[in-house]
Amino acid sequence: MARPHIEPFVETDVAWKKMTLPGFGRGMRYKILSLDTDTGACSMKVMLEPGYRQPPGMSYSEMELFVLSGSVTVGDQVHGPGFYFFVPAGVAMPALSAPRGAQLLMFYNYGEPSFVESDSDHAGAERHRYSVVNSYEGMSWTSTNFYPATAPGCLVKVLRFDQRTQAFTFLYCMTANFWQDNISYHDCAEESYHIWGTSWMMQFGDLPTGGYFWRPPYINHGAFACKYGTLALGRTDSQLYNHFHFNPWTTPEENLERAASRMQHWKPDLYKWVATGDHNHPVDFEYPGDHGHAHGDVPHHHGDHNVAHSHGPKRRRMRK
Amino acid sequence: MKLIRHKRSREAERWLKQEIREQKTRYRKIVAEQDALAPQREKWIAAFLERIQTRGFNVHADMLRKIPVEEIPQKPRRRFKVVF
Repeated sequence: MARPHIEPFVETDVAWKKMTLPGFGRGMRYKILSLDTDTGACSMKVMLEPGYRQPPGMSYSEMELFVLSGSVTVGDQVHGPGFYFFVPAGVAMPALSAPRGAQLLMFYNYGEPSFVESDSDHAGAERHRYSVVNSYEGMSWTSTNFYPATAPGCLVKVLRFDQRTQAFTFLYCMTANFWQDNISYHDCAEESYHIWGTSWMMQFGDLPTGGYFWRPPYINHGAFACKYGTLALGRTDSQLYNHFHFNPWTTPEENLERAASRMQHWKPDLYKWVATGDHNHPVDFEYPGDHGHAHGDVPHHHGDHNVAHSHGPKRRRMRK
Repeated sequence: MKLIRHKRSREAERWLKQEIREQKTRYRKIVAEQDALAPQREKWIAAFLERIQTRGFNVHADMLRKIPVEEIPQKPRRRFKVVF
């Protein structure tokens, strides 16, 4: 069932556990924040004890890492609080150590946490997507550029943006006395960890420092308020659009239907095209090999005008 | 490539089963806590519905619209929940 709705969860009430998965060094402790029950993809808070060491190596899954406190030495570079790493699957990172200890957020996006010792990349690794950002000192706060927008006083720093899915990872802050009187939902899953501060939502109450949520699409949240300010790390799995309204009692199903109806009015030609039976399998000419759909008996095409066909079981190649 | 195909080790399978069990427990606790918050939430909702009539509803950024009383939604009879 992928990840359940975990909201709100305050990790400061929970004990650290020793990391027992193969490959990880001694002195790594963790708390699971949320977990995909099918793939093992997960978000974790991690503590590296002083003296922790890990040789050069890679993960099977795409991974993101954010330094909350202390510092990690990667290769010969020291990275303190606010440093963010995006590490594609199979990209070998240099040796990592935490001479004085560190606390991190780690996100394994497509599989369970893994570490394979290696000083070279996997053959399929996309090294060019690897990035390191100093989010506290190397970036400026900007207004959110989502339309309709959040109320003034909510600012962001975008740490990573996926051009294909529009998923993004961002720091956000709410200034003291922030308030926003609407209810929001999105077409994407949304995740947040409160690095510092307490904010309030009408459905869930206060979310303090160490508070966390993983919220699947179409779930109501808001109104919003924040008395003394908040700093948080957020992530989405696709494009974030603010569907605002003021009915506290709508269900995710009603919200989804409203979103579809809105799309029908905003992009009538596209909606009509997609809704026509044999157009449910669009191909992006920029990504011709990437279909990302469930093959079934539904007639569809591959952008090659071969419309009414389906993918049955794979056929074996005949030997000549 | 977002994931390199690999066979999950026995240790990883065991780890995943254990974490799934613990997440189920966490989820049930969250649901119980949120159910217990229902009376307070009713008050917050009443205050919100009042504010959007007097101060306004945030349509976009600081653009506010005062909602007339006839547009204020009524609570449906079905069970209301916030965690899904």
